[in-house]
Amino acid sequence: MKSYEVDNEAMIYYLPRELDHYAADSLKRKTEEIFMQQKIKYLIFDFEKTVFMDSSGIGLITGRFRKVSDYGGKVYVVHVGAGIDKILEMSGIYRIVCKVDTKEDILKEMMEGGYYA
Amino acid sequence: MRNTNEMTVEFWSVPQNESFARMVVAAFITGTNPTLEEVSDIKTAVSEAVTNAIIHGYEGMEGVVKIKAVVTGRTVYLEISDKGLGIMNIKQAMEPLYTSKPEEERSGMGFSFMEAFMDRLEVESTYGSGTTVKMWKEIGVAGHSFE
Repeated sequence: MKSYEVDNEAMIYYLPRELDHYAADSLKRKTEEIFMQQKIKYLIFDFEKTVFMDSSGIGLITGRFRKVSDYGGKVYVVHVGAGIDKILEMSGIYRIVCKVDTKEDILKEMMEGGYYA
Repeated sequence: MRNTNEMTVEFWSVPQNESFARMVVAAFITGTNPTLEEVSDIKTAVSEAVTNAIIHGYEGMEGVVKIKAVVTGRTVYLEISDKGLGIMNIKQAMEPLYTSKPEEERSGMGFSFMEAFMDRLEVESTYGSGTTVKMWKEIGVAGHSFE
């Protein structure tokens, strides 16, 4: 299973079961070059498999957010379970990140925002 | 049956051991009959402290991280220590969102999470010789039981 995918200006991260410093660092390294090579405007963090996260996960999201915010980009989190939601809520990250239930919701939002127009 | 139990584990300061540290503590406290949420809270706090030891205490260099865990009744006490660089200014380090490594995209929320997920947190550090994080949590008082 891929840990990330790039579709046009959108990058989706399929986050691992445990998103800690070790996992976050490896994801950062794997996708570092893509941000330098092309314009990424939309970021999607898919928590479907994730049952554990610590503040390193928050660092991953805010770090990537900085890379897309220059383009007026947007960051989504999807398939967020109760345990992960507690961490995201506590970190205050929902001020910059949009939580949606399904990937179709993201697509809808993106189309309304002029993407895929 | 004894009411108190204690364990100590030491491991290398490599990131792969962060998940090992969480698992070993989660397994050790099973006897306190915690809820899934309480286990999750403790795992997060352990992960924060161990990650700090690895990336700040030793700054990626070789070292040993030590975890001592004591269970007394339903009280969990954890002591996570390193013999690394130590913290020059503990007050500043504990400020929410403060990070000494912004270039590495650290969130600066480690100590805030430890404080939020445990009942009590104490940090002792000697600059140049290491840091000890002490944390306490009473199991079964939050009322989030799944039973």
